[in-house]
Amino acid sequence: MPRTPILVAALALLAILGCNTPETHVRRSSLMDYLYPKEKAAPLPNPAGARLKLPLKLGIAFVPGGHASWRVQNLLAPGQEKQLLDVVKQSFKDRPWISEIKPVPSAYLRSSGGFENMDQVARMYGVDVMALVSVDQVQNTDPRWYSFTYLSIVGAYVLPGDANDTNTLIDAAVYDVASHTFLLRAPGQSQVKGSSTWAYREKQLREHSAKGLELAMADLAKNLDAEVGAFKAEVARGERKDVDVVDRQGVSLRQSGGRNFGGSFSWVEALGALILLGLALRFRRA
Amino acid sequence: MDVFALTAEALREPWRLWTGHLVHFGWEHALANAVALAVPWLLVGSQDRRRLAFAMLLIPPLLSLLLLPSLAGVEYRGASGLACALWALVGLRLAERRGSAPVGQLMLGGLLLKLGMEAALGGGVLLHPEGWRTLPAAHLWGTVLGLASALPPWPRPRPA
Repeated sequence: MPRTPILVAALALLAILGCNTPETHVRRSSLMDYLYPKEKAAPLPNPAGARLKLPLKLGIAFVPGGHASWRVQNLLAPGQEKQLLDVVKQSFKDRPWISEIKPVPSAYLRSSGGFENMDQVARMYGVDVMALVSVDQVQNTDPRWYSFTYLSIVGAYVLPGDANDTNTLIDAAVYDVASHTFLLRAPGQSQVKGSSTWAYREKQLREHSAKGLELAMADLAKNLDAEVGAFKAEVARGERKDVDVVDRQGVSLRQSGGRNFGGSFSWVEALGALILLGLALRFRRA
Repeated sequence: MDVFALTAEALREPWRLWTGHLVHFGWEHALANAVALAVPWLLVGSQDRRRLAFAMLLIPPLLSLLLLPSLAGVEYRGASGLACALWALVGLRLAERRGSAPVGQLMLGGLLLKLGMEAALGGGVLLHPEGWRTLPAAHLWGTVLGLASALPPWPRPRPA
């Protein structure tokens, strides 16, 4: 039996295991690719602007990937998409300006679907505004100096020679469905670090991917709350000419300035009350 | 947001149902409302003050619950809704008595004039504060609750 091919194969295997080079995995979905697939034909928002009537019905969905080779379903484990959208839903369920939050499965959003697709989904779910969530996740694997021990095969299963970093950036852009007006955006980010052996690298990367998304989504919910507050303040100050918000009484936020309510008697009324008191006491004595 | 002001959070933080009527947007706001609260207290007569105290304990949470749908993300502070309730309650009570009927009628008339002006011309007709606006619904609901609490029979004063 010729020993040369076996020797060559064994050496090649060792070389593959030993040449542990840095690796990068990128998972990305783009809001621009989804909403504006044809660059020159990007629809203009309604010049009349958005008129939002509180309380709002909000739909939230992950944007599908811009290229056919990747869809958001590939990034998320089965059931994880709803779990992640529920993080935002739970954070906003008590907000008085929202009546309902509806998580929309990304399967209902077409790749490069544009505003036409967003309108269809919004009509289907009966929502006034849509929060479109895009994901940018980069996973880097760097070999540590002792990763050469993978050559021993045993080392590949025992020594954690891979440093795995997972950086996740989630961006939520909120659009008024009726006018296609961009309302606000909020980011959420996370970083997960860890070490693994060569054999368990893929498993750890999958786990870190899920954990990174979960942490970034929680960060997004916090930031979205702050951005909504800033947005309302901008509208109240009249800085957003393209947006008006109308409260439950039909009063425009631009007119009311987002001011709080007070129960009040004016000084004239208080004076009238004191005069009445004086007359009553005098009448009682008489 | 102030932890004592009335907001939608009151369903989870029930003390707000009472404290929202105690906190104000400043001394001027508090003083004008305190005067409005004091007048019915001074006019009602010592024999009815226990009943009035009971109403003051019960009316604030009911009034708060009625106001909650009007508060879209903002807060409410002030005792004027409660003051309107007391004016309606005491006004009706005094109007029923022969000796004090003119005073009671004047109280009810003044209250109706205030509500009418607010309904016709909008909240804060005579008041234009900075940073907050008047909620006429507080006065209207306060008056309704005050009138409703005057309907149950009052204990007759014991003969001397």
